[in-house]
Amino acid sequence: MSKIKAMTGNTTAAIAASLCRPDLIAAYPITPQSSVAEYLSELVHDGILDANLVTTESEHSVMSVIQGAACAGARTFTATSAQGLAFMYEPYFQMSTMRLPMVMALVTREMISPCTVWSGQQDAMSVRDAGWIQVFVENNQEIMDMIIQGYMIAEHDDVLIPVNVCYDGFYLSHLVEGVEIPTQKEVDAFLPPVHFNHAVLDPDDPIAVDSLTSGEVLMRYRKTHLEAMEKALDIIEEVDKKFSASFGRSYGGAIETYQCEDADIVLITVGGMTGTARDAVDIARANGIKVGLLKLRFVRPFPAKRIAKALSDKKGFAVVDRSVCFGWSTGPMYTEIRAALTNENCDFSHFSAIGGLGGADISLKHMLIVIEKLEKEKNQPGQKDTLWLTKEL
Amino acid sequence: MSYIETIRSCDDMVTPGMSACQGCGGELILRKVLQIAGKNTIVCVPPGCMSGAGVVGWNYQTGMKIPVHIPLLTNTASFLAGVSQIYQRKGRTDVNIIAVAGDGATADGGFQALSGAAERNEKMLYVCYDNEGYMNTGFQRSSTTTKGSRTSTTPLGKVINGKEQHQKYMPLILSMHHLDYCATASPSHMADMVLKIEQGLAASKKGFAYLHIFSPCPTGWLFEPNQSIQIARKAVASNIFPLWEMKDGKYKITFENKKPIPAADFLHSIGKFKKLSAEDIEEIQKEADRRYKLIKNLALA
Repeated sequence: MSKIKAMTGNTTAAIAASLCRPDLIAAYPITPQSSVAEYLSELVHDGILDANLVTTESEHSVMSVIQGAACAGARTFTATSAQGLAFMYEPYFQMSTMRLPMVMALVTREMISPCTVWSGQQDAMSVRDAGWIQVFVENNQEIMDMIIQGYMIAEHDDVLIPVNVCYDGFYLSHLVEGVEIPTQKEVDAFLPPVHFNHAVLDPDDPIAVDSLTSGEVLMRYRKTHLEAMEKALDIIEEVDKKFSASFGRSYGGAIETYQCEDADIVLITVGGMTGTARDAVDIARANGIKVGLLKLRFVRPFPAKRIAKALSDKKGFAVVDRSVCFGWSTGPMYTEIRAALTNENCDFSHFSAIGGLGGADISLKHMLIVIEKLEKEKNQPGQKDTLWLTKEL
Repeated sequence: MSYIETIRSCDDMVTPGMSACQGCGGELILRKVLQIAGKNTIVCVPPGCMSGAGVVGWNYQTGMKIPVHIPLLTNTASFLAGVSQIYQRKGRTDVNIIAVAGDGATADGGFQALSGAAERNEKMLYVCYDNEGYMNTGFQRSSTTTKGSRTSTTPLGKVINGKEQHQKYMPLILSMHHLDYCATASPSHMADMVLKIEQGLAASKKGFAYLHIFSPCPTGWLFEPNQSIQIARKAVASNIFPLWEMKDGKYKITFENKKPIPAADFLHSIGKFKKLSAEDIEEIQKEADRRYKLIKNLALA
């Protein structure tokens, strides 16, 4: 029997990872991820989890140890945040381009400078073109479920791409919520043991992994990587259905829509802020505003077609980003959603909202202001100025 | 078995057609290490002369008879730590896990990962072929470049004459990581080198083993390719590159240099030192004497 326990996001991530029976865990502390590493270390040291634990001297080595382990055919796990992610960028990019599957929890945090250790999604957003699959989750239960699903997606023969399960630092990592923990037996029945051999170093079958490669051949690698990303969109939906059949929870695949069917305008969110947005939508609806919510779950691969379809008959949309897109004066998901709509009738009214940087709050009031602005401007097509969700607003 | 018989009895694991320069110390070291290690081996060769010379393969072809990977310049030891962890986990503890890395990947960019893996006592043999610079990218200085050397980033200029700093002495730093085995070797002393490779491989089954091997570079250092072994011999004979090992915490000089030749004899045979002043030579001599004395004292302790 599964049980429900009150747990932080970080404890949830650690338990989810352990349920997936990783062969190797590499760990290095960084705020706000550290307790994932600590909890997994406890599980290994207490003999509860049979995994090789490597406590490295840096995140760069975390991803490198993991890459080596994956090149010996292992299932691996780690977690990181912000500067740690930036430091591991070199092997991080190589992990995906070697097409080595794994799941890494990305406890999202603002990037320095100025100095900060608090929440924000700039870290994950800044590496969205590093070839990984990235899913952003809303609550602790979704952390649990997406880490388990993550391995199935990453290790799928048609995918073979590592997965980041991104959850908001502090807002989820340190927040205690009730989480249903599946049993080991249930997870074992859902998730088969790891199997892949396209990049395995073994004296019994010697190959050169990552030889020097000419541009013509390298382009083939990139093309198949892009094709696998495209294919992953189907696999994500498939795994969501399989998961739902086994555990009774479905997240709608790459995006989730809420109250969208008859909506005029749509609020678009990423990650933990979605909970607040749901309440704001309910309040606005009670006040007669026909607003819906689109929760962007997978940022890579980008579900452009599903987004375009969901927005096709709407008058306007606003995207709330917890990070910025330098050079566009907007949030990054705003630019991408607009790119997804280039084939649509472009009479939308739309704007980018940026908030919650460096641990700042995105309040219910903020979400209501976004909805009100959108409602007011819904019959005026085109882009409006970026709205900064500050305290004074 | 004599070392010659040992070498004769072992197959070459590396393609015969690699594109290293004539007289390359690195190629000789790579071949000998892998010959002795044999087929049951996984090797990583990070960016540098050896991987540049084609042993990591080209497109869909491999340059070795054993599994080979070109890791990043910065993560050879940590990548192999992951490989090694899983091989221990699977019970395949007999597989040799080996790095053959240049000094840039060892003493500079890869130093952090190397120090971390050594401290954790990851089971592998890490071999550094030290040609004292980034020879593959065009002879730039590294932290193991000898003082006074001309490199492409420490040119012999009108104001500054070659590299201004002394080299970082990697093998001693690594030996302080509580290693099972740590040694220096030179291709000029092949019997000693073969023995150390064998001991390093044996130690790598228990923990981290490190070999620091002198690697003359005719192209970058400017000397005739047929002089490589001679140059290496002079480096040892002048105490510029003393031969020692550390086993179970005990240091031992493996080549007692009873009559050292002057450092100048070594320096004068290499083009990169051609503009050294008498004072420069004296300082390098002092450094060589100081280092030999330090190792000797450690061996006495």
